[in-house]
Amino acid sequence: MADGIERRDFLRVMGAGGAGAAMFGCSDQRVQKLLPYVIPDEEITPGVATWYASVCHECPAGCGTWVRTREGRVVRVEGNSHHPLSGGALCSRGYSSVQGLYNPDRLKEPQVRDGGEFRSISWEEGEALLARRLRKGENHLFLTGRLGLAMRNLADDFLAAVGGNRVEHETLSEAPLREATRIAFGRPFLPTFDFAHARVVYSFGADFLETWLSPVEYQRGFARMARVDAHGSKGKMVFLAPRLSLTGQNSDEWVPLRPGSEALVALAMAHVIVGSSGGDAGPYERVLESYDPEYAAEASGVSAGDIESLALQFLRDAPSLAVGPGVAGHHRNATAANLAVHILNAVTGNVGRTVRLRHVDQGAPARPFGEMRSAISVMDRTDVVMVHETNPAYSLPPAAGFREAFAAAGFRVSFATTMDETTHLCDLVLPDRHALESWGDSNPRPGLWAIQQPAMQPVPHFKARQTGDVLLSVAARVGRDLGSPTFFDYLQRQWRGIRVAAAPGEDFDSFWLETLRKGYVELPRPVREESLPLRSPDTALSFEAPSLDGDGDFVLVVYPSSRFGDGKQANRPWLQELPDPVSKVTWHSWVEMNPRAADRLGLRDGDLVRVRSPYGQVELPTWRYPGIREDTVAVAMGGGHQEYGRFAGGRGVNPMRLLPAEVEQPSGTLVKLATRVVLEPTGGRRGLATTQGSPRQYGRPIAPAVGLAALMPHERGVGATAGVEVGRGQEERARPQAFPQEGGRFDQYDQETNPRWAMAIDLDRCTGCSICITACQSENNVPWVGEEQVVMGRAMHWMRMERYYETVDASSAGPLDIRFLPMLCQHCGNAPCEPVCPVYAAHHTPEGLNAQVYNRCVGTRYCANNCPYKVRVLNWYDFGDVAEPLNWAFNPDVTVRGGGVMEKCSFCVQRIRDVQNRARLESQRPVEDGEVVPACLQSCPAEAIVFGNLRDPHSRVAQVIQDQRSYRVLDVLLDTQPAVTYLKKVTFHEVDSG
Amino acid sequence: MKKPWLVVTVTGVAALTTLALAGSRYGGAPPSPPAPVVAQPIAFSHSTHAGQFRIDCQYCHFSAERSVAAGIPPVSSCMGCHAVIQGRNAPEEVRKLREHWQRGEAVSWVQVYKVADHVRFPHMRHVAAHAGNLDCRVCHGAVEEMEVIQKVAQPLSMGWCVSCHRDEGASDGCSVCHY
Repeated sequence: MADGIERRDFLRVMGAGGAGAAMFGCSDQRVQKLLPYVIPDEEITPGVATWYASVCHECPAGCGTWVRTREGRVVRVEGNSHHPLSGGALCSRGYSSVQGLYNPDRLKEPQVRDGGEFRSISWEEGEALLARRLRKGENHLFLTGRLGLAMRNLADDFLAAVGGNRVEHETLSEAPLREATRIAFGRPFLPTFDFAHARVVYSFGADFLETWLSPVEYQRGFARMARVDAHGSKGKMVFLAPRLSLTGQNSDEWVPLRPGSEALVALAMAHVIVGSSGGDAGPYERVLESYDPEYAAEASGVSAGDIESLALQFLRDAPSLAVGPGVAGHHRNATAANLAVHILNAVTGNVGRTVRLRHVDQGAPARPFGEMRSAISVMDRTDVVMVHETNPAYSLPPAAGFREAFAAAGFRVSFATTMDETTHLCDLVLPDRHALESWGDSNPRPGLWAIQQPAMQPVPHFKARQTGDVLLSVAARVGRDLGSPTFFDYLQRQWRGIRVAAAPGEDFDSFWLETLRKGYVELPRPVREESLPLRSPDTALSFEAPSLDGDGDFVLVVYPSSRFGDGKQANRPWLQELPDPVSKVTWHSWVEMNPRAADRLGLRDGDLVRVRSPYGQVELPTWRYPGIREDTVAVAMGGGHQEYGRFAGGRGVNPMRLLPAEVEQPSGTLVKLATRVVLEPTGGRRGLATTQGSPRQYGRPIAPAVGLAALMPHERGVGATAGVEVGRGQEERARPQAFPQEGGRFDQYDQETNPRWAMAIDLDRCTGCSICITACQSENNVPWVGEEQVVMGRAMHWMRMERYYETVDASSAGPLDIRFLPMLCQHCGNAPCEPVCPVYAAHHTPEGLNAQVYNRCVGTRYCANNCPYKVRVLNWYDFGDVAEPLNWAFNPDVTVRGGGVMEKCSFCVQRIRDVQNRARLESQRPVEDGEVVPACLQSCPAEAIVFGNLRDPHSRVAQVIQDQRSYRVLDVLLDTQPAVTYLKKVTFHEVDSG
Repeated sequence: MKKPWLVVTVTGVAALTTLALAGSRYGGAPPSPPAPVVAQPIAFSHSTHAGQFRIDCQYCHFSAERSVAAGIPPVSSCMGCHAVIQGRNAPEEVRKLREHWQRGEAVSWVQVYKVADHVRFPHMRHVAAHAGNLDCRVCHGAVEEMEVIQKVAQPLSMGWCVSCHRDEGASDGCSVCHY
């Protein structure tokens, strides 16, 4: 400064004068201890991360993971980038598994029911008690979720030794698809689907981007299909269902057919295709004759002309792919509906091309709810009922009578990690270890096996034992030694068999170590996929729309939550605060209703309404959603836990309470689309804890799109347009690689040697799945704030998934065109936040990063007020103080910010530094393009994000932003010169505004 | 309405400004408080090990060249020598070490050098040959002459870090160390 006093000196003297103590610089005078190892672990270098390959345990998809540990503690889970399913990505549930591991509500030790209360006991007592009860009877029951290969075999061995049956209960079972595949092709298993090579996908309500079968893999395939290729064509998705799920929101055309009429529409399409191409319907030829488009039109509400043109498009744009219906469409004729979709695929010639029928042993029961219902009916005559990895007291409709039957069983034992609803009813609780501390395996695909290896020693807060070890020990106690002292030994014995198939020439030890290192083992895929003809049905099926119970005005759709599945992941604050990708609501449940229907009932957003079916009633706040039919309402699964811990307990409602306990006959699955409901406004209100401000853009150029026809043909495709003059002059001036601007505030920085970090996000690939938000939260120690604070607009995510409704025509009454925009700090070259900071905490680095220096920040919030993108968030109340041991999940490479400090996206600067440090250590080589991988990019299954150095003209990001679709948000209006370039979404309809 | 507190504040600020003008310039090392000599659980002598026997720093601080952390030697490293070496200078202290080893218990050293929690100091970027190639003594002083390790003249303040970064042509952007 001019008068010779520096700000820093002034502050220092102020501090000294104020505190009256001689505190200098940053040194910390507190006494801290340094505890070295007694004997060092060979795999651990302090300060350097160790990675272990494993497999995700959150859903049956079985994505391969890499688990990052520091000093022996798990700090993060990421997708294994070599794994054929995850390909480096993972879903929000997978990323949140560290919050399952360090969940403060995990069971601390074995407990036994003593009177009405649980009393802690030792493992010795617990195992002895179980052995005693098992010896007393011989008719036992083991209720499990979907288990890994070895664990399933062990459970069966155990039951063979002690006497009894095993029943698998999985709410989200796709049994109707499995049964339909058996009926159609004689193969009783789930097919796999090749989305990437389809040119057109028809989803009859299969939510393959969120929950259906293998969402990470299918999302990658879908994004590849839907991009504009070098020939200027783009894959198309049509969504045929009463409600737009996230998958539906990504479709190019929505056909809002009546609930339950999928089979008729699919068969009518097959009818048209057979008539037009002579496709072979085999034994279904006669059936197809009677299902013409006129008949389907009457039942579905879709016009016969539309059905016909959809069918012809499906035939023309081969290879095509039809999928569904998924869990939300499991009605009384769900198997028939899946069969109809198989027939549609078969007559179009998709079987063996996009629908693959190689055998896979997913170990699911033939009749998931059917078996459970039989088990319930005999439970009072059962001696010991054991429960592992399933929670039927929560996930079954009360009408199933599980709680009553369970109470009548002789003795109830739970092997759970957390006190859930079923465990709460048990007599003995033997806490299981979390998957990240346990051995296991999975076989999610034919010829693909993966080992789940423990990535750390058990979290010391919990005296848990792996259930496999407990079963072996208890079997020995009842005098039935199963031949293995530990589950690890049992697992290895099983893998000796897999070794024979997977690596015939190798010795077991090297095979085992190599598989552990890699995380999986895969047989080479056959060159040709099998195409099977349709077989005559051996079961009586009805393709008609199913009957629905009750006489309300609305059909109830109950769908699996993309955040919680059927509720298993509900006690994780990251997921509770993750805005639902469709509704953007956090922390509680809602009922989705078409605005016109809501208007008739006089309901605004947040007005409470009683939803009443013949089987029960719940009270929910309204969320008005144009993506649902007027005669339909929808509620997500996963809420309404009574037990299950502090983050889930008492939050939201469980829609299963509205359903009958009915079996869909051919497949044995629980019927979920079964009832009509009556809506009764209660007059009460509850503010929606939503993170979406305005649902529309109101003409602002935030998430513009471009029509496919308007793309210049010779420039279609990413990166094909280098050097071409683009856009308006205004945009040209603000090119991000021009940083620092001449005469700007940053021109003192050296242009040559410093990188200019920049990002490009392709909105044509982004599906709005919001996985990046959880990945960012996990990487950057982003705190959660709770429902009350979210309502006040204080959610702290560094990334926000904005969702805007547009319409395909100007009347705003036409079909929806839904746009997504991942919004993060734009790292502006001319950042409005920087000049307003009184303490230089918002600061531009020579690398073009807009850095936030936490220790300078005094929390004036001027920067957030001046940020046009609203990406700066203030930590109001020390939200980083979390319950032990959730703090173990913090990334040690990122500061945990205190209260009163502003924070925001840093472009994962810790990863940039890590790469720079490593590059420097390895012979001073430069950082290579693509080497710095921010957490959001790493997590994106759709491969929508590119990151790199703009000053390097050969970097991928520099090439991608040359695309004719590129734009920068609000730059035209504000001259902020962002480092984040977006590529416009490409639509099939014309877009006038650009 | 009178505002007596305002008068006091203004006077105070003026006084402090005068003080600051007389004070040291940014970048220069401010006077350090006398470094307290901390008692360690075992009276380990750096002067014996690093001075008399010329054991390389990184023999014990094993990860300084490849990690952000220099590494505190595990008890097994000490025992590598002291299983046979009685320690003529301080047999009592070696006995304590052996007891730790027998009990399988880590030695709970008192931390002497510490940068604040919001500072990221990567040792390898300063020590490794390809990177900073700095002598450990630049920051830690003449450790080989210290009977008891203690913080010497270096204040570990930001100004001290930045002045070296500027002299050596290293980046002085905030996010180099603060993130």
